[in-house]
Amino acid sequence: MNRRRMMAVARAEWIHIRRDPRSLVVILILPVFMLLLYGYGINYDLDRIPFAVWNLDGTQVSRDLIDEFRQNRYFDLRESVLEQRRIEELLDERKVVFVLVVPPDLGGTVGAGRPAEVQFVLDGSDTTRASVALGYIEGVLNDFSGQLQAQWANRQGTQVAAPFTVYPTILYNPDLRSRPFIVPGLIAVLLTLLAGLLTSTCIVREREWGSFETLIASPAAAGEIVLGKLIPYIVIAFANVVLSIVVGWVVFGVVPLGSMALLLTASMVYMAASLGIGLFFSAVSRSQQMAILFAVLLTFLPTILLSGFVFPLRSMPTIIAAIAQIIPATHFLVIIRSLYLKGAGLEILWPQLLVLAGFAVVIVVVAAGRFRKRL
Amino acid sequence: MALAVEVSNLVKRFGDFTAVDGISFSVSKGEVFGFLGPNGAGKSTTIRMLCGLLLPTSGEARIAEHDIYRETELIRRSIGYMPQFFSLYPDLTVRENIEFYAGMYEVPRARARERVEELSGRLGLEGLLDRMTRTLSTGWRQRAALATALVHQPPLAFLDEPTSGVDPVTRRQFWEFIDDLAREGTTVFVTTHVMDEAEHCTRLVIMHDGAIIAEGTPEEMRTRYVQNMVEVQAAPLWEALEALQASPLVREAALFGDALHVQLREEVVDPAEAVRQALGEAGVAVEAAECIPPTMEDVFVALARGGEEAVREASP
Repeated sequence: MNRRRMMAVARAEWIHIRRDPRSLVVILILPVFMLLLYGYGINYDLDRIPFAVWNLDGTQVSRDLIDEFRQNRYFDLRESVLEQRRIEELLDERKVVFVLVVPPDLGGTVGAGRPAEVQFVLDGSDTTRASVALGYIEGVLNDFSGQLQAQWANRQGTQVAAPFTVYPTILYNPDLRSRPFIVPGLIAVLLTLLAGLLTSTCIVREREWGSFETLIASPAAAGEIVLGKLIPYIVIAFANVVLSIVVGWVVFGVVPLGSMALLLTASMVYMAASLGIGLFFSAVSRSQQMAILFAVLLTFLPTILLSGFVFPLRSMPTIIAAIAQIIPATHFLVIIRSLYLKGAGLEILWPQLLVLAGFAVVIVVVAAGRFRKRL
Repeated sequence: MALAVEVSNLVKRFGDFTAVDGISFSVSKGEVFGFLGPNGAGKSTTIRMLCGLLLPTSGEARIAEHDIYRETELIRRSIGYMPQFFSLYPDLTVRENIEFYAGMYEVPRARARERVEELSGRLGLEGLLDRMTRTLSTGWRQRAALATALVHQPPLAFLDEPTSGVDPVTRRQFWEFIDDLAREGTTVFVTTHVMDEAEHCTRLVIMHDGAIIAEGTPEEMRTRYVQNMVEVQAAPLWEALEALQASPLVREAALFGDALHVQLREEVVDPAEAVRQALGEAGVAVEAAECIPPTMEDVFVALARGGEEAVREASP
């Protein structure tokens, strides 16, 4: 490995980046822009869930139940339905997320101390929203049942201890806000996209320019060329990591609980792996379009869909979850989320960090191996 | 004298197409060796094999005494290569391009700066060192490419069509520069499809359809392959051309500037007189007809058009 040659390649690449205004825009503005856009856009929290009520009972109990929902800030009563047909209309038109159906004689059943049933007709077409809404509904109902039991016991002149009162203590993100969960993931995904865009064209571009021919006629080894190309992008990647962390903090108020040094280190190791993947596609492609297509289809999409960014790994079939393990982003997401939400340290995160470092080394070696010094 | 290039039975096939068909030749150190032939003759394919960019289908070659299969990296250190097509970094300046290749060939930085000054002075690039190569016209791009190929003072330089797309003045300067290089001890291997440039070579081969059809010094080429060449001034020129082409004594007649170059068959003893006679019979007024030494273009026309048949007859 000759340092003079490697630095000559790095210097030429650096000059190229500096003189290409489009690549500067992509490098500095795109990640921030996308972080802002998606940071605001993606939000799993539901607030003021619209719902309707079809009350077939009319007793005090049913009115209390409905009031319980009306007074809750997460729900918003839009309409009292008078006939069944209207339920479907409201759900079809997406005016409400669910309809609460109170059966006739709810008051009588409850008054007699028998188990009563109420019905919720839920729009399941958006599963995320439906399951979040269902969770909130169950919370309200549990509260309400507890109150009813206490009242009933009072009337009987006895006291029942409520069977169990659950006080969940939620660690790491006590308000269960989705933003502290999403923003670190988003940073990871955007850095992946950026890395792919940065390096996927940098070798194949030379083929299109014709400079490839003199480059490979020179004594430079494939490893010197690949590493030399990587160096300027490592510097740029570092700037982007810092920029993303700052935007997450200033705009979204999301601050890592863990060590900043570890966050920067892990991010750089991850960027080395991602930039290496881009270089690999650049070394094997025949045109810039082909390289970009590879980078998007084979890295960006799996990173979004399989890494655990959108869908939890736990809910994936075993095979898919196994495939997810070969995606660097899967491991980086564990690290960055742990650092942001739990403040975990190296003693917990070293296996993931080791896997990422392994990825980075292997992919650069493979890219250099695939770089043929022949036409 | 030691050989800079030694090639035997080199073959390159691309699928069914044979680009280079078993060629053999050698180049001594210090030569300006010309590789001539029309576009598509297989010149660039040969150069690429010799520089280690393409693997030959079969055959042997040694460059600077290194084997092209096993010692490619050693070869790369000993040569400079200027490809046929624009191969500089378009968004780097001339100076940055030269310095980049100085780095690739491990030229120390201080020496690299000296070389930039030296080469730009000799190639007239001084005023353009800080221009991006994308903004240069072809002639200047070719000069810059030549400078990058020579920054490390290689003992052997492969120049693939250095003068293509270059104006006649620049072309002349290029050849003067190449002559100087050779005098300083660099072996130059140069291809061209412009036949008259062959005059600058110490030795040359002519390639046609992947094979070498002629080899020798420019002088040998002219005397061996083309005899009985007559330059004719006549009026009207077109009628003279038609009359001569119809004559059984004439092997080849072609327009050459405002005159005709006529090659007569070997058995004709007094070619100039034969031409006068033939034109007299056809009723065309002859202004002048005299025997001349053939130009390289005459040689190539004779070889390529008169065909390989003529070559086979003439070859020893």
